[in-house]
Amino acid sequence: MKFLKYGLTLAVLAGLPALAQKAAKSYTPPKTAWGDPDLQGLWPATDMINVPMQRAANMGDRNTLTDAEFAQRVTQAKRTAQSDSQEYANPNQAVGINPPAYWLERGKPSRQASLIVDPPDGRMPATTAAARRLQADLAAKRREDGPASTWEDQSYYDRCISRGVMGSILPVIYNNGNEIMQSPGLVAIRYEMIHETRIIPLDGSPHVGEGVKSYMGDARGHWEGNTLVVETTNLLGGRNGIGLNGGGLPHSDALRLTERFTRTGPDTIQYSATMDDPKTWTEPWTVSFPLRRDPSFQLYEYACHEGNYAMIDMLSGARADEAAAAAKPAK
Amino acid sequence: MKAAILIRVGAALAVAVLAAAPAWAHHAFAAEFDIGKPLKLQGVVTEMEWINPHAWIHLDVKGPDGKVTSWMVEGGSPNILLRRGFTKKSLEKGTEVVVEGYQAKNGENRANGANITFKDGKRLFLGGSSPEELPQAAK
Repeated sequence: MKFLKYGLTLAVLAGLPALAQKAAKSYTPPKTAWGDPDLQGLWPATDMINVPMQRAANMGDRNTLTDAEFAQRVTQAKRTAQSDSQEYANPNQAVGINPPAYWLERGKPSRQASLIVDPPDGRMPATTAAARRLQADLAAKRREDGPASTWEDQSYYDRCISRGVMGSILPVIYNNGNEIMQSPGLVAIRYEMIHETRIIPLDGSPHVGEGVKSYMGDARGHWEGNTLVVETTNLLGGRNGIGLNGGGLPHSDALRLTERFTRTGPDTIQYSATMDDPKTWTEPWTVSFPLRRDPSFQLYEYACHEGNYAMIDMLSGARADEAAAAAKPAK
Repeated sequence: MKAAILIRVGAALAVAVLAAAPAWAHHAFAAEFDIGKPLKLQGVVTEMEWINPHAWIHLDVKGPDGKVTSWMVEGGSPNILLRRGFTKKSLEKGTEVVVEGYQAKNGENRANGANITFKDGKRLFLGGSSPEELPQAAK
């Protein structure tokens, strides 16, 4: 266990740029009235939208961009901003099926190459044979009955159910708000999209029994110095993955999540999470990225079902496709 | 299932190894809207529904025969719209807009607004972020 903790600390530090590490050492966060480190506020993940989950293989163990690589990201961001601020729409622009590009949240150029910091190459570890079987089964089912034969073919996110813990905090193109609130013995974390709230006891009580499983699991927190450490178990397996919005290969019910929240400055929390799911991945892996305080950020009510025609349009769209295919004379 | 879309950014040369491809959240637009049914609607705004994350712009469109049909066009998530400079006054009732997009596959009068402009070609709203706000690359 000690070895594991040591490994986690190393992994987390490896993901922090040198400056942030220095700041983390020298920064002492304010305390709440009852003496806990104060993590309260709105900490959206928006800035990190452009940092991919996995690192390009040719970068090896290097997770910090060179000046030249960073300059490319900055140039790209400037071009995007210029295109966003054009007063007139380009009449010759090809109209794609997606909403206008300038309607997306943008994020900021970051020197971090990948969200995954451990394994050191920033790549997801190998999956287990059981996980590969599950993946093949899901793909076969999709081939057999199409992508929208029933609402159950849609993700738990599309169905407005849950994105899971990791899917709720990984940066996506909108609704990246995270709010932390504290009271003596409890921390609450609200996520803007699907508006789930986790209430995390800090009282050292044990996890609930093995028979109880849920989308967001059963979380217990404790302080290690100024770091809030949250261990989550009792997660429902075979549903959400660890990808954006809960996408990707579904994790199993054996997943044990260890999250760490460390304030490294007045406006930054370094967040990390280690996925330990021996039924799905052959070794644990860790993501780490900063959350930046934004007092101007407002969590808007997230009305997932209201005005949402996606399920109707996807299912009726698939039926329309089938009818059109059936009406075509056989060749 | 979720169609990962690469955001087209003009002629920007995205370096593939450094660029992320954020999935357009919430649904695969290609599953809902028909790429074979492109639309160009010119109409008058009757209502703007500010629902997070599914904003809808309602408009009345007069056909060549003078018959008016009502359409609804999906917009961006209200928090993006607000954070990027869209206000309640950006799209008032009675405003004439042109929508280029795609109709729902099921044939209903719902569309995805892939390009929404005012009649004179001005963009529906201007983003709040300007190039000057971005950090400079390390020298």
